[in-house]
Amino acid sequence: MKEVAIIGVGIHKFGRFENKSYLELGQEAAQMALRDANLQWKDVQMAYLSKMYLPATSGARILKPMGATGIPICDIEAACASGGIALSQAILGIQAGAFDIVMVLGTEKMPRGFMDPSMIYEKWQIQMGMDTNPSYWAMRARRHMHEYGTTDLHLAKVAFKNHKNSVHNPYAMYRKEFGIEEIMNSPLVCDPIHLLEICAPNEGSAAVILCPKEKAAQFTSKPITVAACVPTNAYYSADFRAPVDSLSAKAMNPGPTEMAAKKAYQQAGIGPQEINCFEVQDTDAFCEIEIYEQLGLCKKGEGGRLLDEGATEIGGKYPVNTSGGLISKGEPIGASHLGQVFEIVTQLRGEAGKRQVPNAKVGLAHVLGAGNNCAVTILKV
Amino acid sequence: MPHPSSNEKKQIPIKEGLFTAPLSPVERVRLMGSQCRDCSEISLGKRQTCSNCGGGNLTEIPLSRKGKLWTYTVIRHKPPGDYKGPDPFVPFGLGLVELPEGIRVLSPIQCDLERMKVGMELEMEVYPLYSDENQNEVMAFRFGPV
Repeated sequence: MKEVAIIGVGIHKFGRFENKSYLELGQEAAQMALRDANLQWKDVQMAYLSKMYLPATSGARILKPMGATGIPICDIEAACASGGIALSQAILGIQAGAFDIVMVLGTEKMPRGFMDPSMIYEKWQIQMGMDTNPSYWAMRARRHMHEYGTTDLHLAKVAFKNHKNSVHNPYAMYRKEFGIEEIMNSPLVCDPIHLLEICAPNEGSAAVILCPKEKAAQFTSKPITVAACVPTNAYYSADFRAPVDSLSAKAMNPGPTEMAAKKAYQQAGIGPQEINCFEVQDTDAFCEIEIYEQLGLCKKGEGGRLLDEGATEIGGKYPVNTSGGLISKGEPIGASHLGQVFEIVTQLRGEAGKRQVPNAKVGLAHVLGAGNNCAVTILKV
Repeated sequence: MPHPSSNEKKQIPIKEGLFTAPLSPVERVRLMGSQCRDCSEISLGKRQTCSNCGGGNLTEIPLSRKGKLWTYTVIRHKPPGDYKGPDPFVPFGLGLVELPEGIRVLSPIQCDLERMKVGMELEMEVYPLYSDENQNEVMAFRFGPV
């Protein structure tokens, strides 16, 4: 199959921007990606917008003011994994020969506080109070603690690492280091998950421009190859996440992350040991520990040990969330995966400054969310 | 035949197909499952299709009232949206309860929050959560210590 390369990336900082509309957030990221690829908007042949909260036809509303060039513009939604689906659609279009230059934009401007539950849950679940998103993360964490001895300290170590990494990322929201005790003493949201161990929904945008790899040299001296991009939805009863009302106690299917990662490793011909940097869905600190195991960075139940060894710090064997992760960047849902891709591309180009992983050649981005949607993307130099 | 008095409230399920009928006496009500005749997997409530194998050959199966806590958390802030629980809000347990039929059901856990523990024995209770605009009692479920 035709190889596809990323020739430009752009980002608007993740955070809160009271005086900016989503149009401005999106246009800034799109223009930055165009400049990065030495292209103009009129060169783009197809555009996707990844979003969850924005209104209908937001893609056209954001991009058409940059020039009504007549190209198709399409919005895509798959909760936290929206960006992964949008990216895979762009790649398929290029591989099919339908387009040469495709933009994938992710933009979000979300209300403060808990997400509107009626977008995800049924009425009876909301009325009974079973619609607090972090409760799902908390219950998975509690079970992992019960089965494998994972501790509150392990969770705090994830948050400590990610907040610390974000200090050097100008596009992250918090950029503030928190001590282990401060994290563990922050208020419990859903036991055992503390406030400083979860991500906040927020605002931001990121953009990626792709083309056939054989044409990439026309636009950039630093093309990044897409080695795999695998979106998926979980097998039966394989993932406990909003808005699931029950689980099978008998079915033993691999989780969505394991499934997507396995396919992505096969497609790329690259295993986890050969990957130099990872951006993963740390909606909460526990989630990151579970993902270490599901990506194959360690055996099941050993995610806590991996943290104790410092393996996932910058400078460790498997640096995870060098950007600060969602815990420190916040999660503008539609922009999330493309923000991860921005970070991996920055790392593979060697442009990550103080958070640079030395000699990074291969990187992996992973998203996972409501409806059991998941995506794994592997990029290489 | 005696008629129910006109001021007696009618009880309706919070979700159609979630409970066995009738809804009274509540001590006899059970959660309803749908079991697939092809793969034997059970889903909560009334379903048309098995989400494991895709088959359409389902049969209703009343679920046990007793089970064990498989995992849990504590909801410490008022849930978002139209929550019908106590006002002012009182923190409550939420957990997955494993039933002998081979299904784990997400449920509020009515229990001393300090005493919640994986593996504890629980029993289901059906209770009126709120009265709707037609003065019906809307019946919900929760689990608590046996």
